[in-house]
Amino acid sequence: MSDTPTIAFFPEASFGAALNCVGIARALKERGARPVFICHAGFTGIFADYGFQEYHLPVSGAAVPEDYWQDFIRRHLPHFDLDPIDQIETYVAPTWEAIVDTAVQAEAPLRALLNRLRPDAVVLDNVVMFPAIARAGCPWIRVISCAETELPDPDLPPYLSGLAAGDVAGRGAFLDRYERAVGPAHARYNAFRAEQGLAPLDEGLFLEPSPYHNLLLAPSILRHDRALPLDPARFTFLEGCVRQEAPYEVPDFPGGGGPLIYVSFGSLGAMDVTLIERMLAVFATFPARFLVNVGGFRDAYRAVPDNVHLDAWFPQPSVVAKADLFVHHGGNNSFCEALFHGVPSLIMPYCWDGHDNARRAGETGTGRFLGRADWTPGSLTATLHGMLDDRAMRDRLAANARRMADASGVDLAATRILDAAGFGGTSRAGEGRQAG
Amino acid sequence: MTPRDEKPVTRRPRQNHLELARRILDLARDRGLEPGAHLPEQLIATQCNVSRTPVRAALKLLADQGLAVHEADAGYRLSRDFVPGASFAEPLPDAEEGALAQRIIRDRAARRLDETITVGEVMRRYGAERRTVLKALGTLAEDGLVTRAPGQSWVFATLPDSPESQADSFEYRLLLEPAALTAPGFRLDEDRAAALRRNMVAFLAEPDDRLDPRAFQRLDSEFHTLIAKGAANRFVAEALIAHHRLRELPGATARGNVVRLRQAMQEHLGILDHLESGQLAVAADLLSVHLRLSRSQRPQAANRGAPPLFGMTGRPGR
Repeated sequence: MSDTPTIAFFPEASFGAALNCVGIARALKERGARPVFICHAGFTGIFADYGFQEYHLPVSGAAVPEDYWQDFIRRHLPHFDLDPIDQIETYVAPTWEAIVDTAVQAEAPLRALLNRLRPDAVVLDNVVMFPAIARAGCPWIRVISCAETELPDPDLPPYLSGLAAGDVAGRGAFLDRYERAVGPAHARYNAFRAEQGLAPLDEGLFLEPSPYHNLLLAPSILRHDRALPLDPARFTFLEGCVRQEAPYEVPDFPGGGGPLIYVSFGSLGAMDVTLIERMLAVFATFPARFLVNVGGFRDAYRAVPDNVHLDAWFPQPSVVAKADLFVHHGGNNSFCEALFHGVPSLIMPYCWDGHDNARRAGETGTGRFLGRADWTPGSLTATLHGMLDDRAMRDRLAANARRMADASGVDLAATRILDAAGFGGTSRAGEGRQAG
Repeated sequence: MTPRDEKPVTRRPRQNHLELARRILDLARDRGLEPGAHLPEQLIATQCNVSRTPVRAALKLLADQGLAVHEADAGYRLSRDFVPGASFAEPLPDAEEGALAQRIIRDRAARRLDETITVGEVMRRYGAERRTVLKALGTLAEDGLVTRAPGQSWVFATLPDSPESQADSFEYRLLLEPAALTAPGFRLDEDRAAALRRNMVAFLAEPDDRLDPRAFQRLDSEFHTLIAKGAANRFVAEALIAHHRLRELPGATARGNVVRLRQAMQEHLGILDHLESGQLAVAADLLSVHLRLSRSQRPQAANRGAPPLFGMTGRPGR
């Protein structure tokens, strides 16, 4: 074993997981470890720009058609207006099919890469298990960067359901439809696992907890009471995992001052130009300044109000730190960043665990939910005013932000990873709370 | 366009006075004048081929910025802490029309202004006089950012703020910038290079939470403009200088994270090391590497179960 542990991160191809892992990797690097990243070829440069070595999995299969994303959006935008239960057949099941395809295609090149790399540990921040990781001959650590519901429990609402914890009837109906629709993808995945020598997973599950260690991002303010408590020796709650970016200088708004509201629905949500256009019309009459993430679609907008600033990308943690309110899609990374900086979240979910986070924000008094399909200018205006005036929510979030800052999720994650990799002696971060 | 509570444009220096002030500073540097040296009005007027009245206005501008001092009996002198290699453009205020041009382009970049604007609209929106508006639009036209349309209308060019434009910009710079160094006759402005080095080192000394991306952009622009100005071929120099001005527009450059900002600044210093020691071919190679590393490759969209997307070619769903 070398003195410098090589820790191979394998985040899924989404910005939330990728940037969450960057925060942990930077903490590991400060302790003398060598974090490297395994990623989809499409993520070239994301990790290298943070100073990390990247290894790309080769793209296999047919080339992606040029109009893939236009087609993706055309097909799925109407589905994002549906309730979570009605997204099961239209969006969730096809997405699981695609994820299983990815896992199957990645297996051989991933196995070859891990053989060459010989890491001391693999950190998997994904939604599906890759057998090559289980058979890499080193410990692997799972990061659960989605909502806590990703790790099922009889007392928790089902993953992706957006249901309340005590909704027994809803739970049954959701799980019935979920298991029926996702069943074919799940059966195909279990067959693939069997081919690779892994035991099958229970219905609806595509990724097991790690036998070494599991890191959950869910901060305590969002945590559920579990019927089956998690073993603190194997599960650690991180109180979020927020990275630091360069400070953000708020641009000059010709339309005057007022509270600062940051609006970002992630890279997928930025494609919903029609929704954002409707929102801009409301913002024009609202006494605040708005920063709006529109991705590569700036040219789709005209007559933008003077109190709105559009940009293709924002250094999100630094922007959230200066915002009075964060309107987002409920991505777990966005939600954690809002909580870390004590900023209320107005969640307008599209899909996946955004529904679970939107529900939980309301239940815990850390934010509010607004349906993306049925809001009106009046309801949006009233919600924005109500949240900006909600002193109790602001105080609650400020106290929680202090707790999260003290807990230093990235440092605790680094400690647990080094411990699992057998380099525990190099840990120097303060001990945090383990699960239980 | 929605006229809002824009403040009227405040009085700012005239463009010709600003340009003359910069020429006076260039003159002082070229002649090796020391801090505190006398700045004779008549000599400057002769050298710059202008009358003494604008020279006096330009010297007053320099005094307002602390770059010169006025003594009742001796006229103007360079200030005691004048640094020959200091950046001249930054401490001087923008001219009235220059400031208006910046506000127009800021609002176009934010898509607050439509692709076509009229002089009347601009006058109403910014509370500016027709003469100032026309000069501001003229300034933008010089940079190719607007063109005059029939009547009182002006049409904006496509701004370089899309991922595709940023990629094109890097390709263009990869072709020209290293060539500017390796073509015969490159001449480094050593005073400016030394001043720039001090500023870049100071930038790197800042902790992460105070590493200002705007400061990076200013230094980055100065560094690459220094290379452009050193090119012996004037067409190459002019093309690159114009392109670097374009890169200063809102949204024209992708933002880097703190790690990349530090790396890029270190790369600038490495290139500068070789420029100062006359190893131009090595500097050109390092410059190519620097440009390749600086090119943003981040996908425009990513989602579970979907391949990451680079670039966007059209509006979805329409």
